[in-house]
Amino acid sequence: MDRRKFADLSLKAGVVAAVASAIPGVMTLRGKARVAATKAVEAGDRLVFALGQNAGQPVTRGGFSQNEAVLAYPENKTDNHENLVLVCKLNPTALTAPTDLAGTAEGVVAYSAICTHLGCTVRFTEEPMDAAPFPHIHCPCHAALFDPQKGGMVMGGPAPRPLPQLPVHLNDKGEVVVSGPFSAPVGVQA
Amino acid sequence: MTIADWVTDRLGLERLRAKYLGKPFPEHPTFFLGEIALFCFVILVGTGMYLALFYEPSAGPVTGGAGPMPAAYASIIAIDSHPFGALVRRMHHWAAQLMIASITLHLLRIYFTASYRKPREVNWLLGLALLGATIGTSFAGYLLPYDQFAVTATAIGYGIARSIPWIGPVVADYGFAGQFPSASSVPRFFAYHVVWAPLALSGLIALHLVILLKQKHTEPAAARAARAPADAHLIEGVPLWPQQASLMAVLMLIVIAVTALLSAFLPVHPTELYGPPSPITPEVKPDWYLLWVYGALRLIPGDLSVRFLGTTIGSEAIGAMFIPGLLGLAIVLVPWLDRGTSSLHYAESATASPKRLAFGLAAVTLFLALSLAGFGGELGLGVPVLWAITLATPLVVYGAGYALAKRVGP
Repeated sequence: MDRRKFADLSLKAGVVAAVASAIPGVMTLRGKARVAATKAVEAGDRLVFALGQNAGQPVTRGGFSQNEAVLAYPENKTDNHENLVLVCKLNPTALTAPTDLAGTAEGVVAYSAICTHLGCTVRFTEEPMDAAPFPHIHCPCHAALFDPQKGGMVMGGPAPRPLPQLPVHLNDKGEVVVSGPFSAPVGVQA
Repeated sequence: MTIADWVTDRLGLERLRAKYLGKPFPEHPTFFLGEIALFCFVILVGTGMYLALFYEPSAGPVTGGAGPMPAAYASIIAIDSHPFGALVRRMHHWAAQLMIASITLHLLRIYFTASYRKPREVNWLLGLALLGATIGTSFAGYLLPYDQFAVTATAIGYGIARSIPWIGPVVADYGFAGQFPSASSVPRFFAYHVVWAPLALSGLIALHLVILLKQKHTEPAAARAARAPADAHLIEGVPLWPQQASLMAVLMLIVIAVTALLSAFLPVHPTELYGPPSPITPEVKPDWYLLWVYGALRLIPGDLSVRFLGTTIGSEAIGAMFIPGLLGLAIVLVPWLDRGTSSLHYAESATASPKRLAFGLAAVTLFLALSLAGFGGELGLGVPVLWAITLATPLVVYGAGYALAKRVGP
């Protein structure tokens, strides 16, 4: 091997080594899994108000009126944004499939509050929007519409999937308690 | 011996003067658009250096007036309370808006005068890279005030990144340092906005200008036509020193004055009004230069989403990735789509090629129509009407532009 060939080979080997040694460094860009992210909602969790003067207090059936909704977190799991749910109180007779009726209690039905389009927090609203009937859930970001009486089905707009439902029941104090996991993955999915 | 002579002697500046300071700058107002963008960048670096002294890149809680709030948010509120602090921060925001606006107008001038033609394709690409990098830098800066608006806007960006078919979640996690929002988000975006982006922009600007120096400016067609054919290889204009330099100094002062005036009277990004992040999403719209993407996102219905080879091609990926990607690709390819093959060293008349004029006007109309779609709710227009406007107006404008160019063209 002459000197030129050796220099050429060394250079190529050096480039390969440099790229290879950069890979573990690049992998660290991914970031760490957060403690909060491991706090997934589980059966038995009580739902507590996410906002307002009652923040942290349990959501009870009597705590809000019919055709109203509140934002809630599972108790002690408020630092995982994906746990945010919209607890709606609707007319029990108006709830129809594909709602998981066993996961509702006296008209109380809970959906993930994270829009399936791009992850904004959805709202339960009285405003008529694109001729959507009341009650409905809409997203303030790109005008996605969901039907809370029909399992969070998409009524219009850009959302690709229904809002995942969180099955709930009432305990003997009338507090809203989680019965099981979300019906589908929460938030934006590739 | 004066100080100037001493420096000239030591650094051998005579050669520099002979070689570069006589560089001709063509006389036309639209040739100042790129310079305006450059001066905006200077303002951004200057105001940014001030802001970086006081900004705290952390989402960790600190005690504020109304209970705990994120440190980043609290530091912005503190900057606003400094003497001229709010003015400097507003100037940072306004200069960013003006920079993107002047780059966009610069781009349109280059397009409509066919100044992208051989041999200037490289600078066309570098210019587009500069526009993209400027918008990217702005987006990275969105998060830093860490108010309600900032977190919402960046969360949408995170959602868009996640929606990329197959690789979305990996891309999003690498780009946003894990799930968004988390404690890692602000430091990562601070690094992007304050170190990586300004360095990338500086490098691109330097390349753009060195190539400009090497290739010389184009000049208005009238200036070329007025000269003898034997002088066709020359460019006519005022020399860099002292005429153009004094024009630039005046222009720089005007840009600073306009930025300061806008900042003094028109609030921009009022962090305290938006308030610290909360679980509620406010009604927000992006800045004007991203409204077209926002409109596209609202136009694509959810049922367009398809499952394909183990991934979902969602409405959000179509609206925020495929449509902007296709439009961006078309703009990148302009020098190669133009069938005019001759090298061009002057700015052609806009009406010289009916197709070019019509395509350009139609493209501008499409961007405006998509932006309009972002206001469908406010205007009381339904999605079908907005679709009709988005598809029809560019075609109408294309026809009108073509006919116009045919009528008035050379």
